[in-house]
Amino acid sequence: MAEIVAAALTSHAPMITGRPDVSKPERRERLYAGFRELQRRLAAARPDLLVLFVNDHLQNFPYSNMPAFCVGLCETYDAPSAGAAGFMKIPARTIAGAPRVGMAVLEAGLEAGFDLAYSYEIESWDELAVPLSFLAPDRVPPVLPIYTNCAAPPLPTPRRCHAMGAFVGDFLRARPGAERVALIATGGISHWVGTPETGRINSDWDHWVLDHIGRADPEPLLRLTHADIERDGGNGGQEIRNWLALLGAVPGWKGDALAYEPVTEWITGCATVWVHP
Amino acid sequence: MKTSYALNKVLTEVARRHAMKDRLSEEDIAGYTVSAEERAALTAGDIAKLYELGANPYLIRRVFRSRFRV
Repeated sequence: MAEIVAAALTSHAPMITGRPDVSKPERRERLYAGFRELQRRLAAARPDLLVLFVNDHLQNFPYSNMPAFCVGLCETYDAPSAGAAGFMKIPARTIAGAPRVGMAVLEAGLEAGFDLAYSYEIESWDELAVPLSFLAPDRVPPVLPIYTNCAAPPLPTPRRCHAMGAFVGDFLRARPGAERVALIATGGISHWVGTPETGRINSDWDHWVLDHIGRADPEPLLRLTHADIERDGGNGGQEIRNWLALLGAVPGWKGDALAYEPVTEWITGCATVWVHP
Repeated sequence: MKTSYALNKVLTEVARRHAMKDRLSEEDIAGYTVSAEERAALTAGDIAKLYELGANPYLIRRVFRSRFRV
């Protein structure tokens, strides 16, 4: 049977790679060290497949057609595209998708009560390219991205995201063969983007989130309402839905924060978290 | 929650042209069904008002990036 051999949570703010110069060097280096340690552990786990819990930033899904959850069925992903490479300061590269696994997720989802949307054309932005530039700088196993609506409310509830992730975890573990799967969730933690509070970071809330993840106690996070998160974590904090989906896939696992830095210049509370049994 | 499809439709179209603006012109808005209040906020580049009227903040940021101090 397939096995989940690694799991990690990271922020994905584009300025992490795009504007290193504006951040305080000591903060940047501590965060980058966290990413490097995640990369080392991920490589040691030798995954054959990366399942990524991520979100769109309205570059793909318009207000005329907004899925709560969407499975990527692309043969390849530009992560980043040539156009976005300059902004994120990451070399453009094309990485392999895993559309056959994606199709199997969709079919199993319908049986399990998760009517997931799908897309054969996804323009990926920082949600894939920034974390993968650190976590898989050279060779990238095939990737299966699962997009959750974290940006265009109304959003699926944290509890629903966690349940969706639980389904994905069960699906992966039931796959035949000796496939080694790594899970990566990106986004968060607190940040306010485009609102009147743009630039605010709430470190207290970020630590509260990390503490619960560290204790394998997601329940208080699953009870959060959209309004709770908007107030304490900002509209960018809504991206913790991706993290909660991943945690649903590995019940009982806890997350060790390898780095947490509230980087004002990147307008984001940035973290790297290793999740393990 | 307050959301304006009209505003988000205009801003999505402008954002997809990778056009960053200080304010939108009448030409940018031509053909969209926006209210007088929405039109005024778009043409003034009033990012706080656009947020209040239900524009998506990610789209506000993409289009009116120059209006943000950070």
